[in-house]
Amino acid sequence: MANKFVDLATLKFILNDVLDLNSLLELDRFSDHDSESIDMFLSSVFDFSAKELYPCFREMDENPAHFKDGIIEVHPQVKTIMEQSGELGLISSFISAEHGGLQLPLLVHTAAGFIQECANNHAVGYAGLTQGAAELILEFGAQELKDTYTPKMLEGKWGGTMCLTEPDAGSSLSDLTTSAKPNGDGSYAIKGQKIFISGGDHPYASNFVHLLLARIEGAPSGTKGISLFVVPKFRPDGKGDYESNDVITGGDYQKLGQKGYCTTHLVFGENDNCQGWVVGAENMGLKYMFKMMNGARIAVGRGGASIATAAYLASLEYAQERPQGRRVSDHGKKNANEKPTLIINHPDVRRMLLLQKCVSEGSLYLVALASKYYDLSIAHSDEAEREKYHLLLELLTPIVKTYPAEMGSESVSNGLQVLGGYGFCSEFVLQQYYRDIRIFSIYEGTTGIQSMDLLGRKVTMANGQALQHLSGEVMQTISKALDISELKSYADKLALNLQTTQKVLGHLSGFAQNGEYERYLADANMFMEFFSKIVMAWLWLDMAVVAKHALIKGDKTYSEEFYEAKIHAMKFYFKYELTKTLSLSKILMDEDSLTIVDEKEVFVVK
Amino acid sequence: MKILVCISKVPDTTSKIAFTDNNTKFSEDGVTYIMNPTDEWYALVRGVELKEAHGGSVTVVCVGDSSNDQIIRKSLAIGADDAVRIDAQPDDSYFVAAQIANYAKEQGFDVIITGKETINYNGSVVGGMLAELLDLPYVALVTKMDIAGNEATIEREIEGGKEILSVPTPFVISANKGLAEQRIPNMRGIMAARKKPLNVIPADAGISANTSVVSYSAPPARTACKYVDADNVDELIRLLHEEAKAI
Repeated sequence: MANKFVDLATLKFILNDVLDLNSLLELDRFSDHDSESIDMFLSSVFDFSAKELYPCFREMDENPAHFKDGIIEVHPQVKTIMEQSGELGLISSFISAEHGGLQLPLLVHTAAGFIQECANNHAVGYAGLTQGAAELILEFGAQELKDTYTPKMLEGKWGGTMCLTEPDAGSSLSDLTTSAKPNGDGSYAIKGQKIFISGGDHPYASNFVHLLLARIEGAPSGTKGISLFVVPKFRPDGKGDYESNDVITGGDYQKLGQKGYCTTHLVFGENDNCQGWVVGAENMGLKYMFKMMNGARIAVGRGGASIATAAYLASLEYAQERPQGRRVSDHGKKNANEKPTLIINHPDVRRMLLLQKCVSEGSLYLVALASKYYDLSIAHSDEAEREKYHLLLELLTPIVKTYPAEMGSESVSNGLQVLGGYGFCSEFVLQQYYRDIRIFSIYEGTTGIQSMDLLGRKVTMANGQALQHLSGEVMQTISKALDISELKSYADKLALNLQTTQKVLGHLSGFAQNGEYERYLADANMFMEFFSKIVMAWLWLDMAVVAKHALIKGDKTYSEEFYEAKIHAMKFYFKYELTKTLSLSKILMDEDSLTIVDEKEVFVVK
Repeated sequence: MKILVCISKVPDTTSKIAFTDNNTKFSEDGVTYIMNPTDEWYALVRGVELKEAHGGSVTVVCVGDSSNDQIIRKSLAIGADDAVRIDAQPDDSYFVAAQIANYAKEQGFDVIITGKETINYNGSVVGGMLAELLDLPYVALVTKMDIAGNEATIEREIEGGKEILSVPTPFVISANKGLAEQRIPNMRGIMAARKKPLNVIPADAGISANTSVVSYSAPPARTACKYVDADNVDELIRLLHEEAKAI
C-alpha cells in the first residue's frame, strides 16, 4: 500500500490561502473557533485516519461485509471507528451547539471527511450517515424525537441511515409504496421494504435510527404525499428500556467496490409491529430529505475527490520508484546501454499523473468551495449575501456531485494505467480505488439525474440569477488573472468559454421555448461535462492566481516548487481539458437529434 | 502529584529537509512542525494518566519562541493543566536542559518526564542533563512506570531483556515506546485548551549554548526501487550483495 494517502499541504492551501477560512471564523456562528484550533482538529483527524482507518482499508475490501444467519458482518474495526468518530467530535462537528454539536463550518467538516475518506472510503459512511440522519431529526423533528435519539447518535453509539429506495422506486421516488398508518397514539404502523440501505445494520451499534420515506394512508399520490419518519430498530418500551421494532435485515448486496461498507435490504413491519414517528409535518418528507440530500451530494463529491486523491498519490509514489525504459534522446533513439529511467520521466506517464493531479486537487477545491458557500448561505450577516450564496450553492451542487465522481473515475483509470500490468493486479491498490470510485456517479442521484437538474432547473433558477452570480465570481478571477502577465492568456481563454456557454444556452433554450423539453434535456449529460470543465478551469485559474501572488510576495508558507506546481497544473488543465469544451459545444449545438425515441428502430440486434 | 513534561517542536517527518546559510541552518520553507512524537505519545500521555490516577497536575514546559504555541496548545488539549514557554531559541541540548532546570528547581515537581529523543537531532541527552543539573535520580528509556506513595517502579529495556528499578520521587525519566499509547485530542479538548494558562517567561540570560553548528549535510538521495521477480532469489541476493552491499 502507498505510504501517503492524503496531501495535507494542498488541503491547507485550499482552506487557508485560497478560501480564506479565517474569514468564516469571523462570522458570529463560528466565532467560538480559531484557525489554530481547526488546524489541531484536522491534525487529530489525520492521526485518527492514519492509525485507525488506513491500516484496515485493504482488509475491508478483501473481507467484504456480508449477510450471515440474519445479521450483517462487517470488519471489526467498525467498532473503534464508530466509537472514536463520536469521541473526537467527527459526527457532531458541524451540528449546532444548541443541539450538542461543535458548530464548526461545513468547510472544516468537509476537510475532515476528505482526510478520512482518503484513508479509507469504506469506513467513513458508517459515522457519516449517522450524522446526516441525526441532522434531519435535529432540524425538523419534535423535541421528544431529538431527546430520544440524537445524543447516542452523536456519540457514535447508535447508527443512522437514510431509507429512500424501494425495489420499484429508485430514481423515481414518487412511485414509493412503503405505507404508514396512524396508530392513534402519535405513532404510525410502518410497512414496506427498502433496498440499497448503506450502513443499515451491523453488530457495532446497539441501535439503528432509520430515516424513512413512506406514504401515509390517504396521502396524495406522487411526491406530494411522501412523509419522513424515524423508525428505530429498537424502540423505547415506555419502561426505560428498548424492544424490537420489527425491522428485519433481509439481506445485503455484494458490490463492485466499497465492499467493507455494508449495503442492506431492510424489511419494515413484516409482523405488523413496526412503529415510526413522523418528522416535522406530514407530506413534507421529500422536501426535508432533499434539504439534507444537498449536503449528501457535497459528501459524495468529497468521496470522489478523496479516492481520486489517494489514487493519485499511490500512482505518483509508484512512478517515482519504478525504473522502466529509457528516455528518447535528442537524436530520436534510445540508448539500450543506459540504465532504465524512472517511469515518471516519460511524457505520457507525466501526462496521466498531471491529469490525476488536476482532477483530484481541482475536485477538492470544488467541494470545499461548495461547503464554504453553504456556510455563507446560513451564517453571513447580510440577508442578500445569504441568498446569493444559497443560489451559488444550488447551481454548483449537481456539478459537485458529478465532476469528482465522473472525472475521478477517469483519473483513477489513468492512475491504474501508470502501473501498467501491476495496476490490474490485486497486489496493488489502484484496482481497488478504480472499483471503489465507480459508485459515486450513482450515489444520491445518478449523473443523468444531476445533469437534468443542472440544465433543467439550476441554470434557469431565480430567473437566471444563480448563473449570473456564478458568472460574477468567474469574472472576478478573470480580472485578477489579467493583471498577471503569465496568466493573462488563460484569463482570455476562460472569458471566451463564458461566451461559448451563453451561445450554447441560447441554442438550447430555443427548444424549451418551443415546448420541446425532451429535446432541451436530451443532451443534459453533455452540458454537464461542458459546463463542469469551464467551472473547473475557473477554479484552477483561481488557484494559480493565489499561487502566483504568493510567489510574488515571497510567501514561505509553502515552497516555491509547491506554488509553481499549482500554476503548471493550471496550464495543463487549460491545454488538455478545457479545450474539450469546443467539441462538446459542437455536440450541444448540433441540429441532429439522435437519442430521442422516434419511429425508427436503432437498436437492431439480429 | 506535580508532574512536569518537557516538550519540543520538530519538523513533520514528511518535511523536505534543506539547508540555508552555507548549510549552517535548517530551511523552514514549507515545513510543518509537530510535537516531538516521544514527548507527546509517551511522556505527556503517561503524565496525564498518572494525574488521572493519583490526582495532582501536569505542567508542560517548552523552550522556544511563539511558533511553539501550537504544539503547546495541543499538549493542553491532550490533558496537561498548564504550560510554560521559556522564551528563547533552543540553541543546543545543554541550553535547553539548563533553562528547564532553572525554571523547575523551585517548583517542587515530583516527576519530570522527557521524550527519549527528538526526531530531528536525536541527541537523547536533555533528560540526563536535567537530572544532573537538578541533582535528581535519572532513568533513561523507560517503558513502564507506576507510582505508589513516594516510590516509583520503573521498567526499561536493556540489551537482551528488561530492568526493573525502584526510584524515590522526585526523579527524571526519559520516555520510550510502550510507556503509554498515543491519545488523539478531541475537538472539545482542543476548545478547552484555549482557556488553559500558557505562561511565557524570559530565559535566564546567564545560560548560553556549549556548542555551535559548523555545517549540516543531507544523506544521499534515495535511489530508484528495483523490482525482482519473486522466484528469482539468486538475483535478489546478488543485488543485495553487490549493489546495496547490505549482505
